[in-house]
Parts: sequence; structure tokens; C-alpha cells
Amino acid sequence: MADLTFKPVIGLEIHVQLATKSKLFCSCSTDYIGVAPNTNVCPACLGLPGSLPALNAKAVEYGVKAALALNCTINTATRFHRKNYFYADLPKAYQISQYDLPIAEKGYVDVSTEEGGSYRIGITRLHLEEDAGKLVHEASDGRLVGADQSFVDYNRGGIPLAEIVSEPDIRSAAEAKEYVTRLRQLVRYLGVSDGDMEKGSLRVDANISVKCSDGRWGNRAEIKNLNSLRALERALEYEIKRQSQLLAEGEEITQETRHWDDVEGVTRATRSKEEAHDYRYFPEPDLPPLILPEGYVEKVRNTLPELPWQKMERFMSSYELNETDAMILSEHMALADFYEACVEAGASPLRASNWVRTEVLRVMNEQKIDITEFPVDAAALAQLIAKVDDNKISTTAAREVFDTMAAKKVSLEEAMKICGVEEGGISGSDLEKMIRNILENNTDVVETIKSGQDKKGKKQKFLQGLIMKEARGQTDPREAASLLAKLLEE
Amino acid sequence: MKLYELSAAQITRGIHEGKFSASEVFLSCLARAEVLEPQISAMLTITEESGMAQAKAVDEAVASGKKLPPLAGVPFVVKDNMCTKGIPTTCASKMLMQWKPPYNATVIELLAEAGAVLMGKTNLDEFAMGGTTEHSVYGATSNPWKLDCVPGGSSGGSAASVSAGYVPFSLGSDTGGSIRQPAAFCGIYGFKPTYGLVSRRGLAAFASSLDQIGPFARTVEDLALVLNAISQKDELDSTCSCRPRPDYTKALNAESLKGRRVGVIKEIQEYAIDPEVRKAFDQTLKFCERQGAEIVEITLPTMVEYGLPCYYILALAEASSNLARFDGVRYGLSTDAESLLDLYTKTRAQGFGLEVKRRILVGTYVLSSGYYDAYYLVAQKARQLIKQEFVKAFGSVDTILLPTAPSPAFKKGELINDPIQMYMADIFTLPVNLAGLPALSLNAGFSADGRPLGVQFIGQWWDEEGLLSTASLHEKTFGCAPIAQGGVR
Repeated sequence: MADLTFKPVIGLEIHVQLATKSKLFCSCSTDYIGVAPNTNVCPACLGLPGSLPALNAKAVEYGVKAALALNCTINTATRFHRKNYFYADLPKAYQISQYDLPIAEKGYVDVSTEEGGSYRIGITRLHLEEDAGKLVHEASDGRLVGADQSFVDYNRGGIPLAEIVSEPDIRSAAEAKEYVTRLRQLVRYLGVSDGDMEKGSLRVDANISVKCSDGRWGNRAEIKNLNSLRALERALEYEIKRQSQLLAEGEEITQETRHWDDVEGVTRATRSKEEAHDYRYFPEPDLPPLILPEGYVEKVRNTLPELPWQKMERFMSSYELNETDAMILSEHMALADFYEACVEAGASPLRASNWVRTEVLRVMNEQKIDITEFPVDAAALAQLIAKVDDNKISTTAAREVFDTMAAKKVSLEEAMKICGVEEGGISGSDLEKMIRNILENNTDVVETIKSGQDKKGKKQKFLQGLIMKEARGQTDPREAASLLAKLLEE
Repeated sequence: MKLYELSAAQITRGIHEGKFSASEVFLSCLARAEVLEPQISAMLTITEESGMAQAKAVDEAVASGKKLPPLAGVPFVVKDNMCTKGIPTTCASKMLMQWKPPYNATVIELLAEAGAVLMGKTNLDEFAMGGTTEHSVYGATSNPWKLDCVPGGSSGGSAASVSAGYVPFSLGSDTGGSIRQPAAFCGIYGFKPTYGLVSRRGLAAFASSLDQIGPFARTVEDLALVLNAISQKDELDSTCSCRPRPDYTKALNAESLKGRRVGVIKEIQEYAIDPEVRKAFDQTLKFCERQGAEIVEITLPTMVEYGLPCYYILALAEASSNLARFDGVRYGLSTDAESLLDLYTKTRAQGFGLEVKRRILVGTYVLSSGYYDAYYLVAQKARQLIKQEFVKAFGSVDTILLPTAPSPAFKKGELINDPIQMYMADIFTLPVNLAGLPALSLNAGFSADGRPLGVQFIGQWWDEEGLLSTASLHEKTFGCAPIAQGGVR
């Protein structure tokens, strides 16, 4: 018994809300955040008698785009089905979805593993479907439990979703998290979804079972609606433990739908419906088959940008960045573009990487802005970096100039003027005069050095620091150091 | 001649020439309806006020010398399963009593653009399910030729109101014969267009892949005029075709049927058909021959043997899904309930009538996972075979002649408790819907006791013109459809 080991088998179903302006089957707005309930609705998305669906071409394009990035095969002839069930948030009492012929199948995505390698997770299918409305339950005391009133808001009803179903290839909670992170990055990168889990733009259901080393398989449980990466990871970890324990004790695992209680940190069986669902799928007669025109897939493929992981590879090979830096810089397309513009404008790749990762990200954080709104353009930053590279100004001075450019939104020249930084700075006889001055003001330190007591060179470094401070970074530290050494020997 | 007796074409012409006003026509039609309604009960709503306002608007347009649209000032009525903005649309069901749609069906918009004046909404079998117009929560409609008989269904109210002279034309919907069969029973023209010719947007769906809106009229010219108005492409109905539509009135000038091949279906010969219907059929066939048509025997075995079961599986499967939206949550009837499930079951138990419930149950059954393959899938395959048979048949013929129904109008109550027998009455009409073909039913005489006898011509896909052309020739020989007196002299 003690030797038994358990391996989890996890598959994820992810609903991604596509970033179209209008709904999947009508022209109502998809912008439902903060909108009064039931205002973005029309006869079609309310399923009024006589209303009919008309497919949104943009949603198809976004679906195909995401599927291509996931290395899927696109089905150029597909159709929609009706999934029939009764629920108050479902106006027509059926959801229009794709069933036997999804728009895309058989793809994969590579995720990196903790050991630093990469692991391939299969994508079973990607299909399009409409979202349901939102239910709000309210009890007289305002709480959800024991609610005696329910309200329905159909603003979300009919919003286009791409459901991405993975193969049961995922082997740990961490891997699941990595996979969702990758997908989220991808859909954002492509601009097909904002991928925001908090807003519900990206929703995860997890199927999980556990295999025992003695050959026994546990039944599968489905954990619904995991709305954060943390919840996903915690819920899976809990569930792996729970199922393994049950199997270890020789218990049967009930096949059921479970709900993650984030406060208690446990999964719970949702009240099981008495009988299994029979959705009575059948082809949607109100929509003709969806036939993608000749060349359509290629056209969409041509709009695909370089994907983040491709970009990362390229950054590592052509710019010799390490993996961590390459990953940070390729995470968001706009940031990567900024970095590359910087390099193209003449900054050395490594120094540009340092600047973007530290200074640029810091200012973005401080100002709470997006890279697209960044006050310093990439070319100006490149110029500044070049000045440091050419020893025209010191790193310290450059930082000050950069902060001024960012804070006051001024040009490089103006910022240098404001900071009193001059190109080339203090050198030659000016520098010598300045050093002599400092030495005169610090005769005790000079004495100590001259008497040979500064064995570790600490005192000399102190003097060097004073020089740099006095020069406000506007001098070549190497020139200052050699001059200082020379003067100390006098 | 009374104004209500005029055809749509005559009305617009007369208004244009200043012989009478649209208001006078409207009042004449309204008065005719008011006299006969107590006997016939064809109407569920009469839109007197809004109709009068529309008619006055036409008169003002005439006075200001504006160019008149093709159906200016023509009163019409529509089956009460087509949405009319702000006007009750009940589907003859308790489920939708009092419901006023917030939008117009596309056909209603198009007819308004064409200048036609809506006079009201007509009775039907609840949600268009039935062949007698007895399955209406508002009670049955009578056949204007014989008050103790049914007008046919489900568009019985629309057929009866044209037949009785309330209006020159009306709209019905045809899922398995619901325009043609009542047209035959009421002795008028009923036209079921090719699937996809007329937008279904705003038609409360019975079976989406079979439903099609079409006109009833007493003249072929009126059929063509109405078809011109309503057969536009509609981006909001994805099943509505984008192909260009011809001017259907140009099809009315045929001189003969020379060169046309008329098919008769071999398998029909042994079928139990009322002798008087068969006589009308034979006479129409002779007429075709006299007009120079070549009569060709064709065979459609799958259609005859499997058309009916195939239809009742597919239509009811779709119906069960289409009618699921009536759940008491958003509109229409909503009962007091303890829980959501309770709300559904009580609302649907109280809101739907017997025939609708029967069909929802059958439809749910044939779609359920254990039976889908055995019923729905097999029926889909049969439908494809039937389509292929028609394709083959139309290789050797241009139109097919068929009785519209196996018998003339039957007595009220006769089949109300015999659903199978009632379904059998659709045997000649429903294959047309399975294949999506156009078909036109016309009056081919009367039975000895005064009941109209109907025959239908089935055309090739999109050959509305061929059907109108054939019917106009028939009309030239036998005259247009007479107005029934509805038991009132």
C-alpha cells in the first residue's frame, strides 16, 4: 500500500471571449462591463419568436487566427448545432455551438517545464459558440444563499466564445497553470481576446482523474469555472490529493462535477442533477453550413504576427539574450516592439534589454501606463544608451536624464539641459582642477593613503566617489581614476 | 362591383386613377369582414385604427401626386404567427396571448414599403401545427364555402379571409402544406415559394428548415405582385437566398404550354383519393394537354412511401427545439411557481394546447440520444433521397401536377381526435417542403355539394415564374377564384 504512486491526468476546457465589437449572431454591442442590465439586447439575442441568427464574420476570423497559432487544422466546411437545455440565462433554450465539426482540430501548444525544457500539450479542438446571459440571485437579506429572487441580464448572452479543449496531456497543477498562462498570452498577443480571467473573458473548466501505479484508474471529476490561475492550481492540487487518497483507500471516485471553494480551499460536489444531460444536439437549421472561401485560411495566416515563443527564440539567438530576459521582453507584443525599435535605432541588444527590463518597466509601473503610452520613444532611448556606450555620459547621469524625459515628457536634449548634463562632461585640465580641489579638502584621507594604510583601496574608492558626485556623473570614470592615481602619487 | 371584390391590382390602379380612395377600399373590406366574421371567425385581431391611418397616408400621397408603390392602398391580413410591431402576435396560443412584438417581420416591412395596408391578423392552428385551424386557443375558423367544414390549416384564417372577400390577398406560412391545403379547401390560389426566396425573419418558427411564407390571392396577377414585394434577400435571415429576383408579373403572358412537360407521379395512381378530387385532377391534366403540354409519367417511390414519416420526424424535432423558448421567463404566459423547474413545467403545461404538446413530445423523443440515430438521422437521409428523386424527376419534366389534398374540406371535428388521419391529409403537400421546392395550389372546380377542389403544380427550384405562367393560363380558361358568400347573401 505504501508503495503506491498516483499520476494525475488533466485536460482543460477553456472558454475564451472573442474581442469582437458585436455579438456572435446579431449586431448588439459586446461591451457589457458597467452597462445597465438588458440594454445591449435585440430580438435575435433574446431569442424572441421569429428572430434568426446571422453569423459574425469577425468572430470566425478571430477563431481561425487563434486556431492557426495553436497549430490546428482548420476545417473549411463546418456547421453549427443546437445544444438544447432549459435554463433561465439561455433565451432560446438552446445554445448555438459547434458539435461534430468544429472550426479547428488537432493542434498543440508547447509549454516550458520547471526543469527548463518544453512539453507539448495537444489541442483536441477549437470551436465557436455563443455565451449565455448572467444570473444574479438575491435573497431578501441580499445574500446569495437561500435567494428568493433571481434576475437575468442578457447583455452577455450571445457574446462569441472560442472553446479550446486540450487533450488530457497535462500532468500537474503547475503544468496546467503554465498552459493557461501560455494560452492567455497567445490570445492577447493576437488581439483576439483580452484574456482577462477576472472579467470572465477567459474561463477554465478542468477534467481530472488519477491513475494508480497498480493499474487502477479513478473516475474523472470536472471542476467548473476556475476564475484565476491561483484557483486553478490550488483546485487541481487539492483534487489530485483527494482522488489519490480515495484510490489509496480502495474507494471508488464518483464521476461528478465539482466546484472550487476558494475560501475553504476545497472542491465540493455540486448538487448532482438526477439524470444525465441529454442536450439533443442537432444541426442548426437557421444557419447554412459555414464554408470558408478559397484562400481564406491563408489570408488569416498571413495576418498572424510572430508568436511570443518564436520571438523569444529569436531574441535568444540573434540578440544573445538569456532565456529569462528573452521571455520578459517577448511577453507582450508592444513591449517587444519597443525593445526591437530600440535595438534597430542603434542601441546594443544587451544594454537595451537591461534598460527596457529595468528602467522602462519601472517607469511604466510608477506611472501605471501601457508601453504604447510610454513617454520616451524607442529611438530617443537608443540615443541615450549609445551615449553611455560611447562613454559620453555615465550610467548614473543617463538614468537621471531618462527619468526627466519620462516625467516631463521632454526630448533627450532638453532633459540633458534640465539635468545639467553635458556630453563628454568634465575632462582634462578641468577634471584635474576639480580633483585637486577635492584632495585639498580631504587632506586627512590623502594622508592615510599616502602612508600606505589604505590596503584594500577603500579610501581611494571613497575619493573616486566624491569625484563622480562632484562631476554629477559627467566624467569618464576611467579617466577620473587614472588621474586620481596620478595626483595621489605626486 | 363592390370595392372589396376587386383584386389588388385593380385596387392600386383605381386609387391611382382616382376612381376611389384607399380609405374607401379599406372601409369596404372592413365592412365585409364585420358582416362575415360572426360566421367565419377568420380574424384574431382587426387593426382598424392603424389600417385606416395607413390608408389615409396613401390617399395623401395620391393627393400630393407622389408616385405610388405597387400595392398602394391594398388591404391585406397575415397569419398571426408573423411578428407585427406593437400589434398582438399570438400564434393562436395561450402562451402568447397579449404578446406584442417589438419588431416587424421582414415581410411586414416589405409590404408596408409596397404600400399595402394591414387590416389584421388571422386565425391558425396553434403555432401552425394542424391541418384544420381547429387547434386554436381562440376556436375554429369556418370554411366560407361550407360553414360546417374546416377551412384547412394551419393558415386557415388567411385562406378563409381571402376566399370570403375580406381582402384581396393575405400571407400564410407553409411547413408541410399549410398554405396550399387551405387554399385548396377555400377555392383560392395559395403559393408556397422555393425555400429561401422569402425571408422568414419574424415568422415564429415551427420547423426552420421547412417553413416558408407565401401569399393567398384570388388572381394570379395578385400572387405575382405580392411575390414581387416579399421576395427580397434579407441579411438577417441566413437561409434567405441572395440570388436576384425577377419581376414575376412578366410571367403572366404565356400563350400556351407548348414545350412544357407536366409530370404525373406513377405511385399516386393507386392512392386512395376522393373521386371528385381525382376528377378535378384529371380535368386539369387534360387542360394541360390541350394547352400543348407533354404529359410524362415519373416515379417518386421514396417520396410516396417515406415522405410522411420523414417529415413528421424532422418537423417535430425542429419544433420541439423552436418551441423550447416559451418557458415563462421573458415574455408571454408565466405562471406562479416555486422554482425554476416548476415555472417551466407549469407554464408549458398551461400554455400549450394538446396538439402542440403531442408534437413537442414526439420531437423531443426523436432527438434524444438513444433514438437520434434511429429516427432523426434516418429521416435526414430519407430527405436527401427524396430531394435526389425530385432532381431526377425534373430531368424529364418541368412541373409536376398533384392533387393538393386527398379530399376536399372535411367536416369540423371529423379528424380532431385522429391525429394520424390528419397527418395523412398532408401526404401530397409535405414532400415539397422536404425538398424546398415551390408549389402553387389552384381551384379546379367544386364538389357536388359545393366544396372547392384543389390541385397543385410543383415547380423546379426557383421556377416561380413557370408556376405563375401555368396558373395564369389556367385562369384565362377557367377564370379567377370566386368569392365565397360565407352563408350570407
